[in-house]
Amino acid sequence: MSFRKASILPGFGLTFGFTTFFLSVIVLLPLAALTLAAASMHWSDFVHVVLSPRALGSYRLSFGASFLAAAINLVFGLIIAWTLVRYEFPARKLIDALIDMPFALPTAVSGIALTTVFAHNGWIGRFLEPWGVRIAYTWLGVTLALTLITMPFVVRAVQPALLEVQRDLEDAAETLGAGRIYVARRIILPTVLPSLLTGFTLAFARALGEYGSVIFIAGNLPMKTEITPLLIVIHLEEFDYQGAAALGVVMLVISFVVLFAINLLQAWGRRQQVRAAH
Amino acid sequence: MSITLDQVTKHYGGVPVVNDVSLDIGDGEFFVLLGPSGSGKSTLLRAIAGLTGVDHGRIALHGRDVTHVAARKRGVGLVFQNYALFRHMTVAENIEFALRVRHVRARERSRRRQELLRLVALEGLDQRLPAQLSGGQQQRVAVARALAHKPEVLLLDEPFGALDAKIREELRRTIRQVQRELGITTVLVTHDQEEAFAMADRIGIMNHGRLLEMGAPHDLYSRPATRFVATFLGAANLLLARRTPDGIQMGVSTVAAAERSPDLGEHEVVAVVRPEEVELAASRDALKSGYLARGVVDEVMFSGALESLRVRLANGAQAPLLAHANGAAGASLQVTRTQPEQRGFEVRPGQEVAIGVRRVHVLPTPLSSFTACAVSAALAEALSRQPLLAELAARMHTRIAPRVEPHLGVPDAPSATDEPSVGATAIAGGSDCSRRAEWLLRRGAREVLVLPEQPAVPQRVLIHWMSDASRSATLAVSASVLRHVAAEAVYVSIFPEERAGEQRHGLRELLDARSEAQLAHGLEMRTELRFGDVASELARRLAEAPAQMLIVGLSDLTGFAASFRVLLETGQWPVLIVYRASP
Repeated sequence: MSFRKASILPGFGLTFGFTTFFLSVIVLLPLAALTLAAASMHWSDFVHVVLSPRALGSYRLSFGASFLAAAINLVFGLIIAWTLVRYEFPARKLIDALIDMPFALPTAVSGIALTTVFAHNGWIGRFLEPWGVRIAYTWLGVTLALTLITMPFVVRAVQPALLEVQRDLEDAAETLGAGRIYVARRIILPTVLPSLLTGFTLAFARALGEYGSVIFIAGNLPMKTEITPLLIVIHLEEFDYQGAAALGVVMLVISFVVLFAINLLQAWGRRQQVRAAH
Repeated sequence: MSITLDQVTKHYGGVPVVNDVSLDIGDGEFFVLLGPSGSGKSTLLRAIAGLTGVDHGRIALHGRDVTHVAARKRGVGLVFQNYALFRHMTVAENIEFALRVRHVRARERSRRRQELLRLVALEGLDQRLPAQLSGGQQQRVAVARALAHKPEVLLLDEPFGALDAKIREELRRTIRQVQRELGITTVLVTHDQEEAFAMADRIGIMNHGRLLEMGAPHDLYSRPATRFVATFLGAANLLLARRTPDGIQMGVSTVAAAERSPDLGEHEVVAVVRPEEVELAASRDALKSGYLARGVVDEVMFSGALESLRVRLANGAQAPLLAHANGAAGASLQVTRTQPEQRGFEVRPGQEVAIGVRRVHVLPTPLSSFTACAVSAALAEALSRQPLLAELAARMHTRIAPRVEPHLGVPDAPSATDEPSVGATAIAGGSDCSRRAEWLLRRGAREVLVLPEQPAVPQRVLIHWMSDASRSATLAVSASVLRHVAAEAVYVSIFPEERAGEQRHGLRELLDARSEAQLAHGLEMRTELRFGDVASELARRLAEAPAQMLIVGLSDLTGFAASFRVLLETGQWPVLIVYRASP
């Protein structure tokens, strides 16, 4: 049996057993049930539900807005993490704690708060209204809500990596003649890139599943501002469990493919680095 | 000159970490900045590299003023203690970094890389990642990387700190070799004196942000000018001695001094006796060198080539005084002996021996020790525990002797002792202290330190002299104080209001004072010109900021109490009065 390799650490059998058990009960079993529920549908019904224009519209919004939100956080999360790691300023600890607020807040509260601020008569919305920019009840609002909810992921993933970039490295690069942008591009970015990608993946995954905050600000117009999780809920409310399950399976498959692809990308990046070593 | 520093100063949070450092380093010279941690040596190196800005002063590289030039345009190579290699790049990419930044062609880059790898003896490791190299190899890569763009100056910041002894030795040799081969001006920062000796053409010693002394390793070791250098560079016994016309008198014996010094009459001095200059013998007659005292061997430690001992000096009225021991009984002398010496006269702990001294070096410092003077023993004792005085004495490795003067401050009353006063005399501030100070000065005290109740360790020392006759002495005392506190020195020249027209003369005087301070005492100071009444201008200047100290020179005591009363008795600042009667 080559499966159980001799290890210095004892307890492999126990921990591996626990891992599979836990994963099965908490993750795999419910997913299997979901797939099973969808599988009991007739194929043509499945295709009908899954490829209906309304469903297609919701995929576009869900994946598009999630991707956009994660991308926005990639940039701004990096800047926030940089500020928190590199500078000493009053209330730094306070701001650092604020980063985690979107985790703690019930997502519905975030959604309501955002709507209050960005509705056409809200604090910020009323100033955007004359410019013809509407945020609440458009795809922009959806993206905004997802950005807020997923912001902590990138910041928290990048912070430790940035801490590791020693000042000395930048100083060394500077004495060797490198300008600030060159240092950022060639020294800092390569060091934080893996954790930046991790943060992006986490943010994207979380945004796909987000429901609570979005439904308040989205307006939920079919084809326009309706996200897939909402469409699933609508199916459920009509007691169409199979339709809901079918949409769920599609979400599941696409999410898995995307996340797996990002993981592969990361692994490839690591291998490139190791290859350079030999 | 390759590197020229002129009065470079850098503050962090009000404290000067680099304090008025001026320095010239010649082409191709290997200069070592040596000092304990926190002495400002690394900050100074970073200032030369351009990674730290300076608050004051100028930095020039090869005659080009680079004070405000960014690090990347200075053309220096810097090597860090922790290597600071780019971990995601190969050795080749690391070394070529500076060339890539400068858009050098690939062919040229790789040619230069081969050359550098050969120089640091790492051929063939081009494609490794830093993580795959040993510490010594990584530091070699860092040296090669720092040299890639042919910098005019190579700066090394404790480059051997993270390496073990054997590798360190090897890398030292490599770096010295590379430096000679390229003839590149190099500055190395270290806290390791052995390393400094091994590598330096010239050593500069820093403490509290000041560059105290510099010179060839041998000169600094055999003729230090300051206590700090004497004790930091190798071990040293500091003894309080008297300079007499016959030589240096320590306890009952008089030893000929190694060198002549300017004749200042008979006075207390600090003598340096290196442990290896001490001779031990069974009796006074068996000594080949000058007899110092009898002692008892406390401790013998064998350490290979040398044996190190601690020998307790016998107590007695005429026993020589160890400066740092504060007059305590049981003070012991450090001694090291070579194998032949050990064979000639074997000693065991507890054995009584005669101690001889082969060579004595006298420090030119005017502040040899302190006496705490008050009307009663209890008050003198309390004064000697005063925090600032205790701090100063501790930093200067010297003692505070109590002195009781029952009639202190009573006009025409005689002094309680016939002996000339030794060292600087400290008295408590407060009411009447100007009269007490004058009393002491009129009875032979050369320096009087007036201490208010709660003085802080000064961050700025104001220097002023009332007459040219006291200038040299004031500068010497100021330099001595400033070597031991991290404070900036400001010379304040004050002109009476009615002579404001003579400004040109005043400026000349400022420049003269500055250059004398620099040449004779290695003391860098700022200068200020003020107009008005001397005492009240000084008081106003002292009141401007907390943590200031005043050193004032006098050669005439007429009207002393009247003009200095307010200055001495109202402020929370310590005042050191330097008095040299005009001839």
